[in-house]
Amino acid sequence: MIEFLTYLLTIIGIWAILALSLNLQYGLTGLVNLGHIAFFMLGAYGSTILTVVVGTNVVVGLIGGVLLAAAFGALIALPTAHLQQDYWAISTLAAAEIVRLFFKNTTIGGTYQGGPHGYSDIPQPLLDTLGNQGFGIFYLVLVAGFVALSWGLVQWLTGMPFGRALKAIREGDEVPRALGKDARWLRIRAMALGGGVAGLAGVLYAHFNAFVDPTYFKPLETFIVWSMVILGGAGNHLGALVGSLIIQAIYNSTRFLAGAVPIDADTLGSLRMVAIGVLIILVIMFLPNGLVPERVRRYAHTRRRQGSD
Amino acid sequence: MAQIIFDSLIRSSTLALLAVGLTMVYSVLRFPNFAHVEFAPLGAYVALAGATVAGLPLALSAVIGIAVCGGAGILADRLVFQHLRDRSPIMLMIAAFALGIAIRETLRAIFGPSPRNFPLPLQAPMEVLGASVTTVQLVIIASAVACMLIFHGLLTYTKLGVAMRAAADNPNLAQASGIFTERIIRAVWFIGSAFAGLGGILLGLDTQIYPMMGFSVIVPVFCAAILGGIGSPYGAMLGALVLGFAENVGLSINFAFLGSLVGVDRDFLFIPAGYKPAIAFVFLIAVLLLRPQGIMGAARR
Repeated sequence: MIEFLTYLLTIIGIWAILALSLNLQYGLTGLVNLGHIAFFMLGAYGSTILTVVVGTNVVVGLIGGVLLAAAFGALIALPTAHLQQDYWAISTLAAAEIVRLFFKNTTIGGTYQGGPHGYSDIPQPLLDTLGNQGFGIFYLVLVAGFVALSWGLVQWLTGMPFGRALKAIREGDEVPRALGKDARWLRIRAMALGGGVAGLAGVLYAHFNAFVDPTYFKPLETFIVWSMVILGGAGNHLGALVGSLIIQAIYNSTRFLAGAVPIDADTLGSLRMVAIGVLIILVIMFLPNGLVPERVRRYAHTRRRQGSD
Repeated sequence: MAQIIFDSLIRSSTLALLAVGLTMVYSVLRFPNFAHVEFAPLGAYVALAGATVAGLPLALSAVIGIAVCGGAGILADRLVFQHLRDRSPIMLMIAAFALGIAIRETLRAIFGPSPRNFPLPLQAPMEVLGASVTTVQLVIIASAVACMLIFHGLLTYTKLGVAMRAAADNPNLAQASGIFTERIIRAVWFIGSAFAGLGGILLGLDTQIYPMMGFSVIVPVFCAAILGGIGSPYGAMLGALVLGFAENVGLSINFAFLGSLVGVDRDFLFIPAGYKPAIAFVFLIAVLLLRPQGIMGAARR
């Protein structure tokens, strides 16, 4: 039970980092990134290839994975930063599929490595010294530390002038433009920053799971992250954490159902996704601001001078 | 050569049916319906169930599948999108994404993940202009062309078609002129989803029926719609035609001459078949960069 609980909390932590990074892009900046899983994959694969194929240590892998994901964020934002949100959505979805196709069709590092085989034996830091249970607890603490770090980062960015400029972009290009802000450049930075944080989650996942292959990174996973942000409340970082807790709990609770109801695991997996899909539609219809709505910041000293806030 | 043209036409037929429906819903409701492609497996599975479980003739069960999809489109609007008319397109987009997953996973739970085939006897291909072609493939192309012609007639010569075009041009003005917009919206959902259902049945006839069959063509379908100028049905047809050819011709070009330019000396240099979906993506990015309003669309930004 303890093992399952540490496993569950670690997974929740990793997905919380993903949800925070999407919240930076969507909740704050309003970028409809439907390819978020690509950053996760690039982080995981970047670190895996560095540690397994090149043979560096995990810290180098982590930095490499994060930088790769951040660079990709900037790269897909470069040609698309001026697009409308609906076009943006489909191009990010397509870009994520291209990343997955690339890793599915490319074998890096030997005959049975990469491509559809994926990578196994990804180094798990300190596993030999700590043993299985010790590693589980160590990794949970590590992930919790990174969740706190990511939380601090996005919270800090939100309070900065940069974060306020991102919020201005969300409401349309006119205001930032009038203030002399380059909306395109801000979008590129938001994509790179969010991408880097999501890449961090990917690195953590790869070294936790010790195995990755392209089937882990399907568009469905992007939707899971979205459901966390929508359920929790877009724009509020606490909401992203709450959302990832609830969605992962639903997602993993079906393990226990599997023994209790006469439905096979595959069908149960589908029904679980139907439930999350319906839940998100209901949230959009009846609770559009999520469980933890974004606080509307009021500036006391400027209140209603122009007759509006 | 003839074979490539033929394969491209089959691909274009299925893409066109899906892209026209997508672009229609966009033209009236102004949001990209990510659930749209999921009507393809819905139509295919209903037709399959009609043909195998109920033992109906395939043509009849296909008609039932198409009708069920049309009804499902109206139902989706009634249950979800009607309540979100005043929301931002982003929210509609996410709701559609969620609905799409719900539809797809429901089908997967009912019919299982493994691919199925329509109960058709094996056919010997015949030779047409040097290309080997089966009767089923001819039926695919013919039914897509017939649908496009009927649709053109509907848009041009019927009151409903004129009203649909008016609602697409300017919903407020259409309403002010006495066109009951909600009725038009229902018609658009019915026709668009029914087209997607037929597209799914044709896809299933050409290859196989599986839960991901709709989502796996989402990028080419959106690309065709955007290429033609989203909101323009004729543009979507043209976009599907261009894309169908691009995918098949792109894979059959020997790029060795490009290799020799950069110093790679190979006799054969083809795009690996695994990268076929990437062709649509490259097209998409190129179109978005160079002509975001599409081939036929007016500037809209």
